[in-house]
Amino acid sequence: MNYTDILTSKFEPETTGTTIMAVIYDGGLIIGADSRTSSGQFVADRCADKIDYVHDRIFCLRSGSAADTQAIAKYVRYYIDAHAQELGRLPAVATAANLFRNFLYEYKDSLSAAIIVAGWDPYKGPQIFTLPLGGSVIEQKWSIGGSGSTFIWGFCDSNYKENMTLQEARAFVLHAVAHAMYRDGSSGGIIRLLNVTKDKIEREFIDYKDVPVK
Amino acid sequence: MIFNSEISGQQQHTTSPVVTGGSVIALVYNGGVIVGTDTLCSYGSMAAFKNVQKIAQISKNTIYASSGEFSDFQQVVKELAKIDRSALQYDDGVHPSPKDYGNFLARLSYKKRCKINPLYLQNVVAGFHNGERYLALVDIYGTYLESNFITTGFASYFCKAIISNYWNENCTLDQAKQVIRECFKVLFCRDCRAHDVIQLAYVDEQGTHIEEQERVDTKWDFNGFKFRANEKLHTQ
Repeated sequence: MNYTDILTSKFEPETTGTTIMAVIYDGGLIIGADSRTSSGQFVADRCADKIDYVHDRIFCLRSGSAADTQAIAKYVRYYIDAHAQELGRLPAVATAANLFRNFLYEYKDSLSAAIIVAGWDPYKGPQIFTLPLGGSVIEQKWSIGGSGSTFIWGFCDSNYKENMTLQEARAFVLHAVAHAMYRDGSSGGIIRLLNVTKDKIEREFIDYKDVPVK
Repeated sequence: MIFNSEISGQQQHTTSPVVTGGSVIALVYNGGVIVGTDTLCSYGSMAAFKNVQKIAQISKNTIYASSGEFSDFQQVVKELAKIDRSALQYDDGVHPSPKDYGNFLARLSYKKRCKINPLYLQNVVAGFHNGERYLALVDIYGTYLESNFITTGFASYFCKAIISNYWNENCTLDQAKQVIRECFKVLFCRDCRAHDVIQLAYVDEQGTHIEEQERVDTKWDFNGFKFRANEKLHTQ
C-alpha cells in the first residue's frame, strides 16, 4: 500500500491491529489489551474493548479481522453457554479453546483471526491457550499477540518469571502493553486490564495519562 | 558524480516510502505564518523515530515542512539550503524570497514526477517577505497552490472543519497556535501514524521562530470508554 493509495483513501478492512497479552500468576491470570481498532491508517475506534466475554471465567483476546473474530466469538459464546447449562457447572477453558480452534482450522483459508483464550476452571486452574492463524492450539503460561507484540518479545522473554504475585504480573502486563503501544502504530489509546481468579473478575481502566510509557 | 544517480546511469525509481512523516498543518495569522507538525517518523506501522524535527529553516524568513518520505524531506532541505547559501556569493544582501523557494520546489517536483521518480512528499513552504505573508503547498506531482491555510496527509480529512470553524486569516498568533493544537489532538485520536508531541514554528517580521516540542492533551477518561465492558453484550 503506497503513499498515494493512503492519500486517496483506499481504506483497508477494519482490523484489531493490536496488542493483547495474558499472563498466569500464582492464583489466577492477568489479561491486558490496548484499545485501538484501525482501518488502514484511520483509527476507527479509539476505546475498543478487545477482551471478550465467553463465559463467567473464560475470556478471549481478539486480533486480526474485527469482523471475523467478533463473529467467531459470538458462536463460541453461544455454544459454551449451551454446554455449561447441560453440564451444570463451569466449563473447561480447554473446551472453549477447542471450539475456537474448530472455526479457525476448518475455515483457515477464509479467516484472518488469531485468538488468545484465557480463563480459570475448577479442574486445572488458570490456563492460557494461544490460537494463531492456522488453527493450532498451544497452551502457555503467558502469551502475547497482535501486531504490537512483535515489539515486546525481548521485553517479555527477559522479564517473565514463573509464579509471580498479582502485583508483579499486573506490572509486567501493564508495562509490556505500554511498550508495545509506544512503538506500534496500530496499537494505542488506553489499556484495559482484567484479573481472573477463582473468586472474582476485576476490570481495570488505565487512562492514557497513566500509561507508563508514552 | 557517483552520488547523482541520474548522471551515473543507475537511476532508482521511488516505489513506495519507507520512513514517513505525518501531517503538516499551516495557517496564516495576523502578522505572520505558523506551521505545525508532530515529531514522529514511522517505519511502516512502527513508530520508529520519536523526537524528529520536521520543520526546517531554509533562510531567515522561510521555513519548510513536509509529510511523506523523510529522506526526500532531508534532500529537499539540502537543495533549498544550497540555493540560500549560494546567494551569498553575490554579496549584495539579496536572498531568494519565500515564493522563490516555493516555486523552485514546484518545478523540481514536477520535473521528477515527469521522470516517474517523484519526491514522495506533500510540501509546505511558509515565509514572510516585504510585509507579506506567504504560504504554499507543493504536492507529489508538482502542483503548486498558495493559500491561507494548508493541511497535508490525514489532516486534510479531519482538520479542515476545525480550521474553518475556529480560525480566520487575521486571528492572533495564540489563537492560531490553539487551532493547530486542537487539530493535532484530533489527529492523535484518529490517525494511526500520529504522535501527541508536536512542534510549532512561525515566521513574522522579526524572522523565524522554531519552538520547543510540546505534548498535546487528549481526553480518554469518558465514562463510555471506561465501562464499555463486553460482558454486558452477551445479554443482548
